[in-house]
Amino acid sequence: MLGSRQARIEALRGRIAAIEAGTRTPTPVLPFGDPRIDRRLPGGGLPQAGWHEVVGEGLEGESGAATAAFAALLARPRAMKGAVVWVLRRSDLHVPGLVNLGFPVERLILVRARDEAEGLSVLEDALATPGVAVAIGEAEAPDLVAGRRLQLACERAGGFGVVLHRRPYGGPAKGATGSAAFSRWRVGPAPGRAPPDGLGLGPPAWRVALERCRGGRPGAWILEQSEAEHGPHPFRVVSELADHDLVETQPERLRRVG
Amino acid sequence: MAPDPPFALLVSERGTRRLAAVNAAARAQGLSAGQKAADALALVPQLATADHDPDADRRALEALCDWCVRFSPAVAVDGDDGLLLDVTGTDHLWGGEAAMLADLLDRLARWGVPARAAIADTAGAAWALARHGKDRAVVPPGEQSQALSGLPVAALRLDEAAEAQLPRLGLHRVGQLYVLPRAQMAKRFGLAFTQRLDQALGAAGEALAFRRPASPWFERLAFFEPLSAPEDLARVAADVLALICKRLEAEGRGAKRFEVVFHRLDGKAFPVAAGLARPGRDAKRLARLVAPKLDVVDPGFGIDVVTVHAFAVEALAQGQVRLDAELDAAEALAPLVDRLVNRLGEGRVWRPDPVESHVPERAVARAAPLSPPSDARPWDPDRPRPMRLFKQPVLIEVMAKLPDDPPVRFTWRGRHHRLRAAEGPERIGQEWWRGDFEATGPGRIRDYYRVEDEAGGRFWIYRQGLYGDGDAPKWWLHGLFG
Repeated sequence: MLGSRQARIEALRGRIAAIEAGTRTPTPVLPFGDPRIDRRLPGGGLPQAGWHEVVGEGLEGESGAATAAFAALLARPRAMKGAVVWVLRRSDLHVPGLVNLGFPVERLILVRARDEAEGLSVLEDALATPGVAVAIGEAEAPDLVAGRRLQLACERAGGFGVVLHRRPYGGPAKGATGSAAFSRWRVGPAPGRAPPDGLGLGPPAWRVALERCRGGRPGAWILEQSEAEHGPHPFRVVSELADHDLVETQPERLRRVG
Repeated sequence: MAPDPPFALLVSERGTRRLAAVNAAARAQGLSAGQKAADALALVPQLATADHDPDADRRALEALCDWCVRFSPAVAVDGDDGLLLDVTGTDHLWGGEAAMLADLLDRLARWGVPARAAIADTAGAAWALARHGKDRAVVPPGEQSQALSGLPVAALRLDEAAEAQLPRLGLHRVGQLYVLPRAQMAKRFGLAFTQRLDQALGAAGEALAFRRPASPWFERLAFFEPLSAPEDLARVAADVLALICKRLEAEGRGAKRFEVVFHRLDGKAFPVAAGLARPGRDAKRLARLVAPKLDVVDPGFGIDVVTVHAFAVEALAQGQVRLDAELDAAEALAPLVDRLVNRLGEGRVWRPDPVESHVPERAVARAAPLSPPSDARPWDPDRPRPMRLFKQPVLIEVMAKLPDDPPVRFTWRGRHHRLRAAEGPERIGQEWWRGDFEATGPGRIRDYYRVEDEAGGRFWIYRQGLYGDGDAPKWWLHGLFG
């Protein structure tokens, strides 16, 4: 009985997915390589032709360092396959820092936009260009229309987009609006593990919450950068955080995700 | 219409006010340039005067020079009051040299610019005829010695000494000089004298400094009726670009920069530029790049001529359209880069290029996107560098247990950060060859630490200077790790 109920739910999910996808063919996904994350994502990973939001926690919303590092690692497997366009609002991105994370910078093009609208339209243009594998942009709060345009651009050329929420010159945060992004991640720094020899700092770690994901379930983890020799996946899951941890930190947001 | 009142420009010369220029009405009353202002006012009490402004003159002449591009791409400013146009191969557009000259002078006359002009084989002969000969003279090829023979010797652009000396020897006309022995003339008046004569007659070459480099990559379109509708402007820009692209294709070349200039009826010109990351000749793509910039063009009473220049022309092989979808990466990106550069400006789109320097703020250079990578060693992935590097390091207050230890806490933007781990120091000295001792000496040595606070935030801080060496060292925050 239980088994057939499970099967029926699976079949229904499949039909819903088919309706949502319309005539589109399913796109290949970018798995994290750890079932603790991948099982919460539809299809076992993030779709490669889609765009994702990364929101910084606290001061990160202004400085955008942890979010940039997380986005770079998230996009790294895709970035190996083509050109990367990074749309900046402030020219403070230090490229040697990307090299530290193993991000390929040979085909990186940096663009500094004058304002939010220009940045989003450059991002859209880049995502719609064949040959651009990854486009990462910094924006305060893209609205629904801009988000929908980004999604169409991704689907046209198969680009992987990331929007970093950042208030480049400070100021009060705008309330988060509804979004057309495939997923939204909230990222903050987490204390890293000490290296085995006890000297210096270990690999960088982040406290990452998947706040919403189309067809997926929210979750929260502590991730750290996996060492180069540990396979193709850029992250290593240190621990999965329980749901109550999420409720504690972001109660109102969870309601909205519902 | 009443004739203009007499008018003169004044210039102060060693405490004396003299006339620098007079108009036709003043000249008719016996005034001339160089006269003392007091004398002139005594002769013509109603003379209106104004101060001479050589800079404004120069600017006006340069504007006129830019306008003349509609007649020929090679225009040079000559002295304070002349323009030289190389009209080789362009006169057929007007149906002959005389018609072209008439069109040029009529247009100038319509705006009240008094001008004289002549066409000859050499710049020297044209100069002489325009100033001392018959107005609108057109000398047939090879006949300049005949045309010049009746002109005064001043027509030869000589230096002052020679010009004063010649009439004293009874040499008043250029034609008298033809028969004199050259060696003695050169000895007496200097080599410059015979050279000027040769230049006027075409026996010696003369280099002209054209305002824009002479380029064969130039096309123009003239219209019977002036245009002003924005969609017309976009259409004619596409047409003129198609003309030059056709020529580029016929010769197997492509260009990186194109400049479309809209010439207005009243002589104002509006240039609109489009750049490509790789040499190209696709007129449709260029037209799309130019179209959004057309709002700077103010058509006024109408645009009657559109010209286009191609710069940075290079050989470009005829591209074979590949059947497989695998496009050359740079080729695929070129249209995107062109769109971005043309929309945002060149300084806002770049490719980071490594520079071999330990000083972090100097380690990244901006290169043109799609340019080949430089030979510099790439960045070392094992050297910790922050994700965000501040343009200006921020002064922070720190607490350290021992002077040489990394700090245990610091304050930045009013927030305290208690540090739980640190890594370093990495000592980075300034590059001594860049400045004097003060700017690069031991007082400028930085000891960088990578520190982590209790929340996990990672910072790049440094201590500048050494202890026991004058001022106590200060601590700075230079960047944030992800």
